[in-house]
Amino acid sequence: MSKKQGKVALSILLAGSLFAAVGCSSQSSGTDAGTGNNSAPKTGGTLSISLDADPPKLDPAFSTALVDRMVFQSIYDKLVDVNENGEVVPMLAEKWDVSPDQKSYTFTLREGVKFHDGTDFNAEAVKFSLERGMDKASNRKNELNDIEKITVADAKTIKIDLKQPFAPFLSILSDRAGMIVSPEAVKKYGDEFLNHPVGTGPFVYKERQKGSSITLEKNPNYWQKGLPYLDSVTYKIMNDANVALMNLKSGQVDITNKFPYKEIENVKNDPKISVVNEPGQGYQGIHLNTSKAPFDNKELRRAVDLMIDRDAIVKVVLSGAGSAAHSPFSKSQFAYGDSDKVEQPNVEKAKELLKKAGKENGFSFTLKLGTSPTNQQVGQMIQNMLKPAGITVNLEKVEFGTMLEQSKTGNFEAVSLGWSGRPDPDQNIYDFATKGGSNNYAQYYNPEVDRVLKEARQEGDQAKRKAGYDAAMKILNDETPYVYLYHDHNVFGVSKSVQGFTYYPDGLIRTASISKN
Amino acid sequence: MSQTVIDSQQPVQTAAQAESQWRLFFRRFAKNKLAIVGALIFCALLATAIFAPLIATHDIYEQDYNSVLAKPGNGHLFGTDDLGRDVFSRLVYGARLTLQVAIISVGIAVLIGVPIGLITGYYRGVWDEWVVMRVVDAMQAFPSLILALAMAAALGGGFYNAMVAIGIGFLPSFIRITRAQVMTVRNLEFVQAAKAIGASDWRIMFRHVLPNSMAPLLVQITLAMASAIIAEAGLSYLGLGAKPEDPSWGSMLHIAQGYLNIEPLLAVWPGLAIFLVVLGFNLLGDGIREVLDPKLKR
Amino acid sequence: MRFLVRRLLLAVPVILLVTIMVFSLLHLLPGDPATVILGQEATPEAIDAMREELGLNQPIVMQYLKWLGGVLQGDLGRSLVDHSPVSELIWQRLPATLELTIGTFVVALLIAIPAGILSATRPNSWIDYTSTFFALGGMSVPHFWLGMMFIVFFAVKLGWLPASGYVPFTENPLANITAMIMPVLATGLRESAILMRMLRSSLLEVMHADYIRTAYAKGHKESFVIFRHALKNALVPVVTTSGLIVAGLLGGLVITESIFSIPGFGKLIVESIYNRDFVTVQGAILVCALMVVMVNLLVDILYAVIDPRIKVGKEAEQ
Repeated sequence: MSKKQGKVALSILLAGSLFAAVGCSSQSSGTDAGTGNNSAPKTGGTLSISLDADPPKLDPAFSTALVDRMVFQSIYDKLVDVNENGEVVPMLAEKWDVSPDQKSYTFTLREGVKFHDGTDFNAEAVKFSLERGMDKASNRKNELNDIEKITVADAKTIKIDLKQPFAPFLSILSDRAGMIVSPEAVKKYGDEFLNHPVGTGPFVYKERQKGSSITLEKNPNYWQKGLPYLDSVTYKIMNDANVALMNLKSGQVDITNKFPYKEIENVKNDPKISVVNEPGQGYQGIHLNTSKAPFDNKELRRAVDLMIDRDAIVKVVLSGAGSAAHSPFSKSQFAYGDSDKVEQPNVEKAKELLKKAGKENGFSFTLKLGTSPTNQQVGQMIQNMLKPAGITVNLEKVEFGTMLEQSKTGNFEAVSLGWSGRPDPDQNIYDFATKGGSNNYAQYYNPEVDRVLKEARQEGDQAKRKAGYDAAMKILNDETPYVYLYHDHNVFGVSKSVQGFTYYPDGLIRTASISKN
Repeated sequence: MSQTVIDSQQPVQTAAQAESQWRLFFRRFAKNKLAIVGALIFCALLATAIFAPLIATHDIYEQDYNSVLAKPGNGHLFGTDDLGRDVFSRLVYGARLTLQVAIISVGIAVLIGVPIGLITGYYRGVWDEWVVMRVVDAMQAFPSLILALAMAAALGGGFYNAMVAIGIGFLPSFIRITRAQVMTVRNLEFVQAAKAIGASDWRIMFRHVLPNSMAPLLVQITLAMASAIIAEAGLSYLGLGAKPEDPSWGSMLHIAQGYLNIEPLLAVWPGLAIFLVVLGFNLLGDGIREVLDPKLKR
Repeated sequence: MRFLVRRLLLAVPVILLVTIMVFSLLHLLPGDPATVILGQEATPEAIDAMREELGLNQPIVMQYLKWLGGVLQGDLGRSLVDHSPVSELIWQRLPATLELTIGTFVVALLIAIPAGILSATRPNSWIDYTSTFFALGGMSVPHFWLGMMFIVFFAVKLGWLPASGYVPFTENPLANITAMIMPVLATGLRESAILMRMLRSSLLEVMHADYIRTAYAKGHKESFVIFRHALKNALVPVVTTSGLIVAGLLGGLVITESIFSIPGFGKLIVESIYNRDFVTVQGAILVCALMVVMVNLLVDILYAVIDPRIKVGKEAEQ
């Protein structure tokens, strides 16, 4: 203990009895020694998870934010889940059959599962939840667009017919679109359901202080025997990652969902904290508006792409917690491959492209970006990197709501806007690169890309799908409607008193199997 | 500014009397130690802004990714920032932005607020009481930073929009002060005399009333400049305001907040700079007030 | 009495104007609520459906009148984002902000009154110079920076206080107070500077008045004169400006609350502006304006109590 003694003593005071005796032999009173030996997980206790933003809507049908999905993992179960390797595994559906033409899915549901309000989970509830997501006002409509018909065969069997084969379907059901809500509760609360969320998950919604915390309590009737271990889970809103870290250090928080990149190195040898630093599924980049000057010119788009030193951005902005990107596919996805390879910055080649476009003296454009420090760092670095080619970047800070509106209406030349990522590659590219896609802010259209991407989403075979994405990226990397910059990692700070924390590629924290010493 | 102070006594004074008034003002001012400190700080800000290129040791836009968040030393007096730029040089150039904030935002408030206060205070009546003053009340019941925030968001980010927003936030106080002054001055003998000889309302307002209302306005201008600098820093701190690459002291704080654990000094310098400059304006304003208002004599 | 009735009547157009200002200001913002609420994934159809549901397709004047009609019946409407009643949202956020405001005033008064009296009774002494200098210094420190410096020293370097993490008083009083110390000090120091300056100058003015000289001439002790006569009169201008201080404070708290992650009123307004949640912003600003107007009214009543010479037209002269 030596030097750390004072600090440790303080943390005992602050954290009460929650402290686990880490490598400390003299300590035998009160605390349950247990780290190191693989004894059975301890039950009871409260887990505090800090979130970097207040989840706007605790209703999967209307949710818009990544943080919502964090809380959903505790409240709602999904038809299927993904495992640590990103493979689809059973959850509320015990098994499923896919018809040979890939247009019909038959799910066999788990029996004896109850919603938090005591009503039964069954095929009707599944139909209800899915149809709710297909409603025109729902934010899941796009994901569930291909459903033609939902048929309840019996209480435990449900058949879903698709208009056409849709490969990402199961993967989509492992997220918000596949979360099953209590039909009774929806009828009871109506518009207010999002303030009274009811699912079948391991924890039951208790209360929330808007802007401050969300408290969940153990679901004693959870269908997975023995789970959850914890008595309750509290999500605390801490907008600033540094503040969250301080609270983690002092024991007021057990897990943080964001971690200050520059601190990753510093806590390497911390006896109380470990850092989980894993590739996520999202990416950051810049939409270039292909419908108007200057970026209606392919050469100019390419020139911008060519001048950016992505490794420098990863090093300076992310302190290495990420990787350079040239495609929407991160390492955790099957579509990842050569398409993500980055060309090194090349002034000569960029200047040639400018010359070809008739802009040998360079040109200038306005890059709109969000107000966060990270956005501003990236913007300034890009501004600097484009200078040698004679490209002048005029940075314009825009508040998020305004930016979203301007992106959707095409009122921009270039806008820096990333994507948090989804497990299936289709969900990270289709709506971004095809005609009329909801995220195709660049207003890009290439019939060949549309065709290839459509085929890839209808194809059942992974190898063939990957070939499709490779083909699409080959075109996209040449025409560059979007400049991919980097894939950021999901970085969590986890107290060493937390047991059973497992990283999932979707970057969401599953609380059911977590216990605390 | 000082010219208007002389003018202010014009209608009733000879040139010699004005001259002595002027001297009196300076003599009193020179005795006020705190005001002198304020004036010195102001001059230092002015000099830094003008001679920034000579004082700065580095190109303020030059990034060095191999020396990010460096401690002071190695040619960098105050170390480097998150992108490896020289903090000292950026602070020096920041003086220019700060001066612009003070002048432009307060300028907007003066150019719009003073005439409104002058006219409503001179004519009074229903318009004054039920419209203008109620709007002023409403604006003052509206938290000014929130007003600025909403306006900065409405106008789109950016330095000049932020200044317009801040300037509008100051309007009520300038309208009130001018109006109150006008109401006390309008009944004085020399104004009545001007009326008697048939001077037009406009002439009376701008030639006679306004110059004689100048003293409290001068104080208010100085103090408003101090608040303007803090307000801009606040907006930039919230991520609105100056362009990312421009060295606004508020934006520097915005970035520094992310590194409080690692490099707290990064937050110390721009904060100190804001503090000093605002202190300068406050000391100056306070000093002018004491000099102009004999009741507050020490 | 006539004065107060008039004062109340004048407050009505002020409050109406505030709501109109809020309403038009928010409608000037680019980014319509439906787009912002639905986020990146939204399809055009979903946005249309949302606009319809939120009543955003009606003319602005209709939307305003509808909202106003609700307000007159005591209904602030429902948040565009999560459909919860705005009054509930405000109610949830109010305790933190009230605590912050009260704490700030307590700190401010505890410092300002002794310092103001000391420096006014001993003009040009070292006490006067020091307190004047500190007061001007206090007014000049951006309080968000002060907050950051507090975090650096008390939370990071010394580890005495939690960097943030607001806990409701009812849940854990001790944790609540330790979490509030830094934010309250950061804003309180600044306000104390303003109050102290005002108290000093009005005391100085009063001390020259004839009745004070008379009191001294009668052989009363200094402390008696100050507390019995001078302070009472000197407080008048201080009290009259409290309304403006409250308004300024509420605005300033926006930043304090965001530095220390306090889920207060200011943060609610800012979040709602960012979310284009018109209904919530209107409701919150209405409450805010009402508070300011009420404080001003209270001040006027106090003013009349402290200073019986008050005349009907006084308000117009401010």
